[in-house]
Amino acid sequence: MLPNRDSHFSLSLSALSTPHIRRHSLHTPLPPATVFIAILIFISTGARLFADKDILIIKVRERMAHRLLRDAEADGWERSDFPIICESCLGDNPYVRMTKADYDKECKICTRPFTVFRWRPGRDARYKKSEICQTCSKLKNVCQVCLLDLEYGLPVQVRDTALSIDSNDAIPKSDVNREYFAEEHDRKARAGIDYESSFGKARPNDTILKLQRTTPYYKRNRAHVCSFFVRGQCTRGPECPYRHEMPVEGELSQQNIKDRYYGVNDPVAMKLLSKAGEMPSLEPPEDESIRTLYVGGLDARINEQDLRDNFYAHGEIESVKMVLQRACAFVTYTTREGAEKAAEELSNKLVIKGLRMKLLWGRPQAPKLESEVSDEANQQAAVTHSGLLPRAVISQQQNQPLQAPPQPPPMPYFNIPPLPQHERAYYPSMDPQRMGALIRSQEGSSSGPPGSNENRSGSEQQHQQAQQYGYPEHGAPSGSILPTILPAVWPHGTASSSAAV
Amino acid sequence: MPKVKTNRVKIPEGWELIEPILSELQATMREAENDPHDGKRKCEALWPIFKIAHQKSRYIFDLYHRRKEISKELYEFCLDQGYADRNLIAKWKKPGYERLCCLRCMQPRDHNFQTTCVCRVPKHLREEKVIECVHCGCNGCASGD
Repeated sequence: MLPNRDSHFSLSLSALSTPHIRRHSLHTPLPPATVFIAILIFISTGARLFADKDILIIKVRERMAHRLLRDAEADGWERSDFPIICESCLGDNPYVRMTKADYDKECKICTRPFTVFRWRPGRDARYKKSEICQTCSKLKNVCQVCLLDLEYGLPVQVRDTALSIDSNDAIPKSDVNREYFAEEHDRKARAGIDYESSFGKARPNDTILKLQRTTPYYKRNRAHVCSFFVRGQCTRGPECPYRHEMPVEGELSQQNIKDRYYGVNDPVAMKLLSKAGEMPSLEPPEDESIRTLYVGGLDARINEQDLRDNFYAHGEIESVKMVLQRACAFVTYTTREGAEKAAEELSNKLVIKGLRMKLLWGRPQAPKLESEVSDEANQQAAVTHSGLLPRAVISQQQNQPLQAPPQPPPMPYFNIPPLPQHERAYYPSMDPQRMGALIRSQEGSSSGPPGSNENRSGSEQQHQQAQQYGYPEHGAPSGSILPTILPAVWPHGTASSSAAV
Repeated sequence: MPKVKTNRVKIPEGWELIEPILSELQATMREAENDPHDGKRKCEALWPIFKIAHQKSRYIFDLYHRRKEISKELYEFCLDQGYADRNLIAKWKKPGYERLCCLRCMQPRDHNFQTTCVCRVPKHLREEKVIECVHCGCNGCASGD
């Protein structure tokens, strides 16, 4: 396995300058059954690239078995160079030290001896080792340690039902048949004959996309529960490496490795499948004018272009407004159908840059009160993001201390937090140009979100043309999301717009 | 009968002063050896042995090298008779190993990845503060702490 990144390679070589890590000369007086060789391996096998991890593998020992072995594994014993494992099992640490022991244990499925790799996937993790041999793991395309699918992180049963693959009838499950099958398979794989592996060709399906795990799940690498603690007898105290928690009992605790591998009678899989069946779909709200979708779970890495790329397919996007402060964004379509289509398609499946997004409909604000409210109160109304945030988020927001405006004015509305004075046209629906109201002059405005800025500049150009039909429209109350903001804006708007023209 | 030469041990002077403590330590060692293993882990049952061996060697090392209260002859006598471990004392003379717990913990050949035991790592560099090394039950034998 040759390194595929030269700079990476030289870096590690220098790290290896300590003599004991170099290849040991075998004339050091070591007991005959143990051989210590350090092998630095950069992984570039097949689809599994752990290129960001630096993995040092030390060959721990050749079993006594090597003396009994006639010639290289005539019995079909397996030997390999690197384990087939998923990201969660490999751990979060970019530096991994692994030991490798040839023929150390039997595969839990086919009971053939195979090469066992053992490592620690991170600081707070227990040591993990490969449980099944590579042949078995390739047959089902699963991780050698956790027996979950390599691409989706799902149990075999879930993946098979979701993709309607059935590999089970080909694999014999009993005794000699199984060994023979495994051996044959192994031999073919080594000879390079491409057996029909259905896993590469399966197209990702809706259901699978909904169910898959998008980020590595490191909780499964925690230490096991201290069984002495459960009985109240743990005398090791603080140095006990096992978890001092009560175990979670339940139906999911009775799992069997063979059942999980063959995809039969797996309680976790059945729970996941039933959950998938009932995943709520996003129903469109009754208010027909809402064409805005709320996207939650954003991150700093996601930018507007990513959102546009994901949403353009379902309809024409009118605007995308990102609120990084609340890790969310609002995508508004020009047509209601576009929004509905997007909601339907993306509802549980939106994953951008590895992060799963939560998709909801934008909601209108709480019902408006009398119009003779102060200017500031109206601006406060504006800051609830023009009511596009789901109520849960709004209440969260009002619990947080907001940057206080110079004088937080008395708030007649329960729902509206005070507005920082310089907030402007924060959302597209607040943008008076869009709602048909007239825009007031922009000179005073300081930083709004960049999205709103560009919206405003865009709207400013159109503003001149739109002015005529902007004006009559402001009377329209129907379905407009911001009835109260408009009265406050119009008087100024008219003045400045006429001045601007 | 042919003359059978027996090697009779010639005890150097000063022995009577240290002899009571040494026999006490020997007695505890015998007790540790005969202790039942109930309630202890497999490795944990061996820890007292290492601890007492360390104690014995420490006593003699201190007497000769630190307090200088016994003669070289007596010191060598103790080492020859097996009251102290010569190799362990040899390590204690080296900088950085003054508090070494046992010889296994610093032997890289005995560990995966050619490292030392965790007890050799100073406490401020470790992540877990409370440990018991698996070889000898040591809590930390780095010279700093």
